[in-house]
Amino acid sequence: MKLVPLLLVAALWQAASVSGLLPPAVLPSLSSVLAALVSLIRSGEIFPHTAVSFLRAGTGFLLAVVFGTALGLAMARLPAIQRGVEPILLSIYPVPKPALIPLFMVWLGIGDVSKITVIALSCLVPVVISSFNGARAVDDLLLWSARARGTPEHRLLWRVVLPATLPQIATGVRTAIAIALIVMVSSEFISSEHGLGYLIFTYGGVGSDDAMLAVVLYLTAIGFLIDWVYVAGLRRLLAWHAFAH
Amino acid sequence: MRFSETALALDSIDLNVAEREFVTIVGPSGCGKSTLLYLIGGFLKPTTGTLSLRGKPIIGPGPDRGIVFQRYSLFPWLTARRNISYGLEELGVARADRERIVAEHIRLVHLQGFEDRYPRELSGGMQQRVALAQTLVCKPDILLMDEPFGALDAQTRRILQDEMRRIWHSNTKTVLFVTHDVEEAIALGTRVVVMSSRPGRIKEVIKRDFDVADGDEFEASPQFAALKLRIWHSIKEEVEAARS
Repeated sequence: MKLVPLLLVAALWQAASVSGLLPPAVLPSLSSVLAALVSLIRSGEIFPHTAVSFLRAGTGFLLAVVFGTALGLAMARLPAIQRGVEPILLSIYPVPKPALIPLFMVWLGIGDVSKITVIALSCLVPVVISSFNGARAVDDLLLWSARARGTPEHRLLWRVVLPATLPQIATGVRTAIAIALIVMVSSEFISSEHGLGYLIFTYGGVGSDDAMLAVVLYLTAIGFLIDWVYVAGLRRLLAWHAFAH
Repeated sequence: MRFSETALALDSIDLNVAEREFVTIVGPSGCGKSTLLYLIGGFLKPTTGTLSLRGKPIIGPGPDRGIVFQRYSLFPWLTARRNISYGLEELGVARADRERIVAEHIRLVHLQGFEDRYPRELSGGMQQRVALAQTLVCKPDILLMDEPFGALDAQTRRILQDEMRRIWHSNTKTVLFVTHDVEEAIALGTRVVVMSSRPGRIKEVIKRDFDVADGDEFEASPQFAALKLRIWHSIKEEVEAARS
């Protein structure tokens, strides 16, 4: 049922192209985009680019999840860290991170490092904010209960704060997944020789709009799949939490 | 739960509790009954004065003092079984012993069949059974109970009161039990402490001079009714004094 509106849009798109209402110069027909996608997959051309892109996105994303969670929890538990980090974080928050790509390239070169850095930085913000807010909202009663049952102070973070915060962290991580894909593509638009962003940019530049859109469609499908797998995994992992049902 | 008020909550509390005694604490709302438990639990520090347990000063929370809160104190990410075994894991008890002790306590609080449920999937009464077992496995010297049945419906509360008495009879722990329910205070406590309105002081300590056996007959006895009335009047006096 959820597919009906999507199929309707696809059918309208194709009908508009076939009837000549939508000239290929404005938007190539859906069938030609799908044909381009099939040949990109058949020739295997798209796969090395996929690997490069997702290696960059995955590395940046994982760095953001690990450091973002640690930073968020530390900020929530240690007021000194909160006072030091919060102003910096709030000033980074509204910066459109892809706009920093040229700067990072000057600093870190035009290779993978600058791209991974900007992906990591972009993903960091939602992870830090969600883990910080989650950890701050942990009920004192749970901390008291753990202490009264023998948990020493230095283990409270691991035994209580982290598990209690997992649902919120998971929400921030989901946002970070989407951001990682966006910034991955944007970072590959500039001075890149591999990657899906590079493919989109190159095909667009030479006027192969059908191949360009084929890569966009391919990315959309992968993004959708990743999100679906993530949410399904979360439901299993966080079965104790209300959102799982 | 947060304590940000700076007003004096308790004043000159001097109460000695003997071992294996079941002391219930009643008093007007906001008199600091719970604060008293949290002080003994070591969660709060007294502004002046000292608290000691078996002659040793209380400096922080510890498994020698088990606490059962009114609600929402179970770890929501752990099943009933893992919640109960939490304290044993923290103490480093070996797995086989842990499993045996947890199974005993699941039977003690009648939770068979619900071991693998998460707190969210249990009724309020069952959650409190888990909380009680979670506390009992640590073998505390003293059991602190902060209106543990206060959020339950009347029926469930009655059933849990009977079980609480049975558990106390069978392993005779020292219990300090805060409640706002006078009947509950008498039905469970061997001594009932009545507190004054804020700042809370101990107004009087009443020893229950009749036996409450298992069964419900005691409730119909004239002594029960008389004691209930006496305690209620004592509380009402405080509520009215605070108002004027």
